[in-house]
Amino acid sequence: MIEKPKSPSLLELAERVVRLGKEYGADEVEATVSDGREFSVDVRQGQVENLVEAGSRGLGFKVIKDMKTAYAASSDLNPETVRRLVRNAVSRAALGSRDECAGLPPLSSEKVDIPSLCLYDPGVRELEAARKIKLAMETERIALEDKRITNSHGASFITNEVTTVLAGSNGFLGSYDQTFCSLSVGLQAGETDEKVEDYWVSVDRFFKNLESPETVARKAVERTVRQIHPRKIRTQTVPVIFEPAMTDWLVGFLFACISAVAVYQKTTFLAGRLGERIGNEKITVIDDGLMPGKLGSRPFDSEGVPCRKTTVFERGVLRRFLSNTYAGRKLRLPTTGNSEGTGVSPNNFYLQPGPVSPQEIIASTERGLVLTRTIGHGLNPVTGDLSRGALGLWVEGGEIAYPVSEVTIAGNLEQILSQVEMVGNDLEFRSPVCGPTIKIGALTVAGE
Amino acid sequence: MIAFEDHFQISNAQRTKILELALSHGGDFSEIYAEYRVYSFINMEEDIIKETAESISLGLGVRVISGDKTGYGYTNDLSIESIGKAALTAAAIADSEKSVSIPVFLETLPPEDRYPLIRPVHQASLQEKIELVRRAYLSCQKSDPRIKKVKVLFQDHAQYVSIVNSEGCEAEDARPQVKLVCTAVAEKNGRREFGFSGGGGRVGLEYFGQTFPPERIGRDAAEEALLLLEAVEAPAGEMPVVLAPGHAGVLVHEAVGHLLEADFNRKKTSIFWDKLGKKVGSPRLTIYDDPTRPSFRGSYNIDDEGTPPSRTLLIDRGVVHSFLQDRLSARLMGRPLTGHGRRQDYSCIPIPRMSNTYVDGGQDDPEDILKSVAKGIYAEKFEGGQVEDSGKFTFSISAGYLIEEGRLTAPIKQATLIGTNIDILQKIERVGADLTFGLQTGTCGKEGQEVPVTDGCPTIKISRMTVGGQS
Repeated sequence: MIEKPKSPSLLELAERVVRLGKEYGADEVEATVSDGREFSVDVRQGQVENLVEAGSRGLGFKVIKDMKTAYAASSDLNPETVRRLVRNAVSRAALGSRDECAGLPPLSSEKVDIPSLCLYDPGVRELEAARKIKLAMETERIALEDKRITNSHGASFITNEVTTVLAGSNGFLGSYDQTFCSLSVGLQAGETDEKVEDYWVSVDRFFKNLESPETVARKAVERTVRQIHPRKIRTQTVPVIFEPAMTDWLVGFLFACISAVAVYQKTTFLAGRLGERIGNEKITVIDDGLMPGKLGSRPFDSEGVPCRKTTVFERGVLRRFLSNTYAGRKLRLPTTGNSEGTGVSPNNFYLQPGPVSPQEIIASTERGLVLTRTIGHGLNPVTGDLSRGALGLWVEGGEIAYPVSEVTIAGNLEQILSQVEMVGNDLEFRSPVCGPTIKIGALTVAGE
Repeated sequence: MIAFEDHFQISNAQRTKILELALSHGGDFSEIYAEYRVYSFINMEEDIIKETAESISLGLGVRVISGDKTGYGYTNDLSIESIGKAALTAAAIADSEKSVSIPVFLETLPPEDRYPLIRPVHQASLQEKIELVRRAYLSCQKSDPRIKKVKVLFQDHAQYVSIVNSEGCEAEDARPQVKLVCTAVAEKNGRREFGFSGGGGRVGLEYFGQTFPPERIGRDAAEEALLLLEAVEAPAGEMPVVLAPGHAGVLVHEAVGHLLEADFNRKKTSIFWDKLGKKVGSPRLTIYDDPTRPSFRGSYNIDDEGTPPSRTLLIDRGVVHSFLQDRLSARLMGRPLTGHGRRQDYSCIPIPRMSNTYVDGGQDDPEDILKSVAKGIYAEKFEGGQVEDSGKFTFSISAGYLIEEGRLTAPIKQATLIGTNIDILQKIERVGADLTFGLQTGTCGKEGQEVPVTDGCPTIKISRMTVGGQS
């Protein structure tokens, strides 16, 4: 699966590592080479603050000998360093333990048409530095025009261009190029001791799809000023509405719980529960690596397994764990094309949207909390328990009444999934792990 | 002490040329940061050594400062041609006719070595490291039949940094770092709970002898998981909170430390920016950040700008005393350097960071502190926390107890504490004499850069705080 072998030296390096590994006595070898070009500019108060531009390459590989695996990585690509690392890895493998599940996947006959995935925008490479700086400047300037904004964390424009090459002793050779760009701004409102803050970021693979400076600035301003003069609330159990960014966070926690690696390691409460009803019938969750232009799309995973579409939850029933080859062998389940490094990662992992608008969801709520941000940690995949600091908007009589801060929300993921009362129609794929607005029947909100 | 190894092979004449090239568009300051790091990694789970890894990170960054603007270019190809390209990239931030001549380099020598070790870990054999891993694994697994899953990770690295700048400063450091951590899952009647422990720092292999044997790490992880099997839901609402000595230092790190980093104050986004010399908290509260503590995970001989660090008084009996500075902020604010300019690696611009942050020990007897609480929470172990510049912070308790009538009673499950820093600082009612540091395993993230840190505190009572539990 090679799109355009425009960096033959990268392909050569990956193939050379595979060949060297075999020469030193490895049974199997898999090598990844990545080549990235990065540009980022931060502006603040109308001035460029930081400007970074660089290119960097990296190599990562694994060798397997007698069912024993050793890994290595390097950003020093000197041929002698690479040779030494390969030799060390093969001899280090002997000190590991025999593992019946170790090894590369069999070579797949499926092929993914890389251009149809729309991962690369030549327009990103062509963007001039002056244009990128101007976009960031514009965004901050527009945001600061709003008199309610009292300070700025600055605006940033970032572009990334990455080439990924993978070669395996199973005969796999693949390569693809991708681009990303983002425009963001972070703001503060209110006076020194009563500051509130928030930000907005637009990310896309294609420059033309990025939100305009006006839109990014407007959204950041709205999100910031709506928090001014927050109140505390009493501890109570109420319906909680998750804004899309908050659903993204919840879906991210769900991913940690349906990773086949966590399942075989018994570090998730969903281990051993395939086929069971976990959420109510509003919960359909899909992983799809083949959606054109989306942030989590890719033709093949880090083992060269073609990506695909996998239904993880079907109307509340747990159907599949997302797996790499190793965890798949452990659990006697098929790999799903989600390998990343030694673990698994989501492709585009999302909660399927429902029929109602976010406005209708708020209007349906007599009293409750719209969750706008959470801060902190507090996720436990072993039990499904979650507990986080939260900020939000209080809803009274179907309307937003006032902002709320210094509360925490606490609950259990399984209970939350079985209490989803409404699912919004506003899914936007703003990140690889995402979902629309949802309303949970009841959650504990701790305040005074 | 580990010896400095020069992996860069760049002559002084070449370095001078690069620094000049970096200032070819004007600019006030240029700097070369070269870094070589060699890591090893071992993972044991399901009773086998599942992974071993070796990795190398080599690269160099050129920085140019012009006024308050920073230009940065980096490369992992150390050919003079690529370095020159990085220098020109950084140079482009400036736009003036000014020319600067580079003085002769004068090496900065730190007053003492902060890594007093005997047996460097990066030179130990893999077999020897695997043996440490196995010992931790087995002691965890065998401590109780309810322990169903054990995982042990061992990581070590040796990092060599070499810094020169256009002011003629030259500095280098060879920093060891090691971490052995164990996680355990305990199971009883279908309920599963998770425990964690670990140790390490800028230490040698001898550390795992008597100071912190792997067996203790394994047992501690098992004990935490077993304790949580019996834990009840944490209460929800406002109540007194007693912070256990040690791990609770993360609250200080989050609630206070970040907002005393100079960049946030220079930009006036931190709630502390106008509070230097002003009283913000209880007179019982004194906070330091100290990168010079021997062998600590967060310590260093020089920071990542070549500045020898010093113990920095942040809060003096409730009054804001100073901020944590890097070169850029110190110059723009007209304050002295404190040696807190750190970076994750050569691809990052240095920013002000914490190292080893702690609340100084007070006068109170920890027993008396507990006795003063009729009903509240004893917060013992933490997963981490987060703060906003506005002062709102949270931190997550992973293990703790209920306090009832001055005594610890039932263990409690996961809960979150939330507050606003100035409010909490004023509510610090008692400070114990028992200063303790948390595990030597912590990492702090800021602007996408992760650096090793530690935190410490004595027993502390906060009169009221919002606790987010489920009951």
